[in-house]
Amino acid sequence: MKTEPMQGLLTPKKLIIRTGLGLTVLIMVMMACAAVGTASISFRAALEGPGEQATVNPDYEILVNVRLPRILLACLVGAALACSGVVFQALLRNPLADPYILGISSGAGLGAMIAVVAGFSWTLWGRSPIAVFAFIGASGTVWLVWFVGRLTGRFHVTGLLLAGVVVNAFFSAVIMFITSIARADKVYATIFWLMGNMTAEGFFTIWIGAGFVLAGIVALFFIAPQLNALSLGPDNAVSMGVNVKKTRLIAFLVASAITAIAVSLSGLIGFVGLVVPHAVRLVFGPDHRQLLPLSAIVGAIFLIATDTLARVVIAPTELPVGVVTAIVGGPVFLVLLVKYSRQVGWMK
Amino acid sequence: MNRWWWLTIGFVCWMAIGFAAFGGRESRVDSESAQTAGRAGRIVSLAPSLTEILFALGLDEEIVGVTLFSDYPPAAAKKPKVGSFWKPNIEAVVAARPDLVITLGFAQHRSLADRLERIGYNCLTVDVEKVSDLFRVIVEIGAASGTQGRAEDLAGGIKNKLQALSDLIGTEEKVRVLWIVQRQPLRVAGRDTFVNEMIELAGGENAIGPTIHKYPPIGAEQIIASRAEVIIEPAMGQEDLNLQRRQAFKYWSKFGNLPAVGNDRIYVISGDTVSRLGPRLYDGTETIARCLRPHLFED
Amino acid sequence: MSGIIEVDNLSFAYTADREILKNISFRVDAGTFLAIAGPNGAGKSTLLNLLCGLLAPDSGTIKVDSMPVGSYSNEALAEKFAVVRQEPVPAFGFSVIEMVLMARTRYFGSMGFESRQDRQAVNEALEATDTAQFAARPLSSLSGGERQRVFIARALAQSSSILLLDEPTSFLDFKHQVAIYDLLKAAQLEKNKTIVTVTHDINLASQYCDQILLLGADGSYYTGNTRTVLSADRIRKVFDVEIFEGKIGQERFFIPLGKSTRERGQSDNKKSQSPHL
Repeated sequence: MKTEPMQGLLTPKKLIIRTGLGLTVLIMVMMACAAVGTASISFRAALEGPGEQATVNPDYEILVNVRLPRILLACLVGAALACSGVVFQALLRNPLADPYILGISSGAGLGAMIAVVAGFSWTLWGRSPIAVFAFIGASGTVWLVWFVGRLTGRFHVTGLLLAGVVVNAFFSAVIMFITSIARADKVYATIFWLMGNMTAEGFFTIWIGAGFVLAGIVALFFIAPQLNALSLGPDNAVSMGVNVKKTRLIAFLVASAITAIAVSLSGLIGFVGLVVPHAVRLVFGPDHRQLLPLSAIVGAIFLIATDTLARVVIAPTELPVGVVTAIVGGPVFLVLLVKYSRQVGWMK
Repeated sequence: MNRWWWLTIGFVCWMAIGFAAFGGRESRVDSESAQTAGRAGRIVSLAPSLTEILFALGLDEEIVGVTLFSDYPPAAAKKPKVGSFWKPNIEAVVAARPDLVITLGFAQHRSLADRLERIGYNCLTVDVEKVSDLFRVIVEIGAASGTQGRAEDLAGGIKNKLQALSDLIGTEEKVRVLWIVQRQPLRVAGRDTFVNEMIELAGGENAIGPTIHKYPPIGAEQIIASRAEVIIEPAMGQEDLNLQRRQAFKYWSKFGNLPAVGNDRIYVISGDTVSRLGPRLYDGTETIARCLRPHLFED
Repeated sequence: MSGIIEVDNLSFAYTADREILKNISFRVDAGTFLAIAGPNGAGKSTLLNLLCGLLAPDSGTIKVDSMPVGSYSNEALAEKFAVVRQEPVPAFGFSVIEMVLMARTRYFGSMGFESRQDRQAVNEALEATDTAQFAARPLSSLSGGERQRVFIARALAQSSSILLLDEPTSFLDFKHQVAIYDLLKAAQLEKNKTIVTVTHDINLASQYCDQILLLGADGSYYTGNTRTVLSADRIRKVFDVEIFEGKIGQERFFIPLGKSTRERGQSDNKKSQSPHL
């Protein structure tokens, strides 16, 4: 009698098992996708190691220096976007929220556009100016929206969303203005970058980015029970002894930071941040202690798979990743929705 | 709050490891080696104009990768493709095992070249924005690929032909030209473009005054104020030039006040030789000159 | 863990011109069941929010266990007050037991999981409210009455000394209204909780509550033992409506009379039976 009602509940054991399984699947997907690409390579030849000159063993070069960084990057960005989506949905108590809802997309776009049009050519630690400016644009916009939203007094979800809409509209207009007067090829270059792309970055960049994203995900996991409580509304959460202010601040800061990093690494990839949290929620439930790590893993798997598709479907041309995520993700999500929606009350 | 401390410590350690393991190593391979490669046996070109230069230098055998739409000379279209001009596929480039990769200087190409050099490939990045750039770049590519002599001949040849054209035109008054890049919305080539240089070399002058943008959109007022004597529209794609000519005449007929329209001096030319700054610079310039002063070429 | 509330000269106004609460003082001893009643706009919900620290008084003090409410940290305050508000169904489909467990959030360990004590508190709360049967179901699949019991279960699981409720039975049918009050009474008697509930139902308050605070819209108020404070005259004055008072055994009940009933009553008055009017 005592244990019966507890059956549906999440336990540490269940979480560890599910996360472990998820990570196993992730590694398998990474290996499978490393074997696929424009050039057919053999693992055996690659394992012989690099030659004295780069041209001697292209199999190794492609596997280790081109595909691997790209897969790792997709893993990173997918996890970051999915977790960010989870958090914004919790903070704004809105299932339609995605990582870009508070103006990050237009801020990043504006930053990227400025960098390209101004013609900067320096690099910061190996990051191109377009990436640096996109990051500045993204984070700057979020803080602008937060600040404007705060002017409505206490943290007001509607105020924040409206501020996001206004800032988005304003920056989009500025972007359109620059588009109309700038040189066609520069505009094209920016738009292409923004459509989402996984260029092979150096291991240094990937390692540093991974550090931030992993730390962010762990920090979010720490506040997961508070995020659960937050879904009841801030008044109720406060009454239950949850420090709502601190939770919101940490959640907002971390989610914005990892989104800005993701955008600066790979442009604007939609769909992952909106749909992966829902898909995981439909199958596993809304408990954030589970939702966060599993969304990170599913987001990573999803992006790795779609990126691989993007680069082989019409080789040697590459599709923008954002296109593939939408085309692939849409039907998959619909299937999940139909299958599981009856189990979850809110679809009634 | 113990766990937050652990997180911070873990984060700092992670970053430290990153800097230690990967930090300084990502240095560029010396670009000198790109220059002293001797005769490069396998070359990948990431722009159609660069492909043209390579063919003009007689390096057709050595080319092992080009981008889509590298269509001149026709042999280029048969070469293996390594992606598009805007998004070259790094895997395909590496799979081609090049000794030399030549790219342009804008952001995407520059970061790709960066990446390739860090892996250990020789890259040459060139900027071809102005006519003077072209001559310099031809020589640079010649040096990088071990065909200095041929390169200097090529560059010299183009210069000589342009000089001859200039002599032919002599001191005739410059013809006011309106160069239409796009019709809807209407965009023209401004003064800060390589097209403008070609126009000047062909004995013309841009009917549009100095503008902020290189390819400004303009309105009806400015068109009329330009008093253009000749309108040139480069045709994109392989569509029927005659059909396009008829459409152009129809479109411009509403600007009856322009000298160009009054004298039926609207020309639709093939875009190939005038859209890329490459070895066919003279051909493009001569085509323009023919539009501006047909009487000089009647022989 | 006592749960004594002392309100001294409390005043509060949302805007400068309209004072809602004027110099209110009352005391609630540990283990008392207090009802707060009054017409709409008298400030009942406002008072509740002031008690639990969500709003700050303009003047006067509110003390819980001899310390001002404002001096408690958020977590410490959660040990004193658990609040049951009118709330919509949350957007994400948490199950009943997940929701009740959230009340123990501040006790969770460093990895964010509950301990045996937490689970025990949750189980007890579920059984006290007879909601253990729904434990695994999503909240939105329950009826209004069942959902209300779940919210009360959550408040019970918080293990606080005081329970504040804002009109817990306003949308429920008779059976569920009685069930909720039975539940609350049991919590008071078995666990010695102090219970403060805002209610529109004078009769249920009269049956179950020891103490009542009648707030008038004009700033007047009456507080004290339910039996002494509640009278037809007083209720008529505070609510500005005709009242019929009746008696069943020891219990009194009060019914508001509408115009047609009054007229019928006046014509009936000609006959011998005369209700207390």
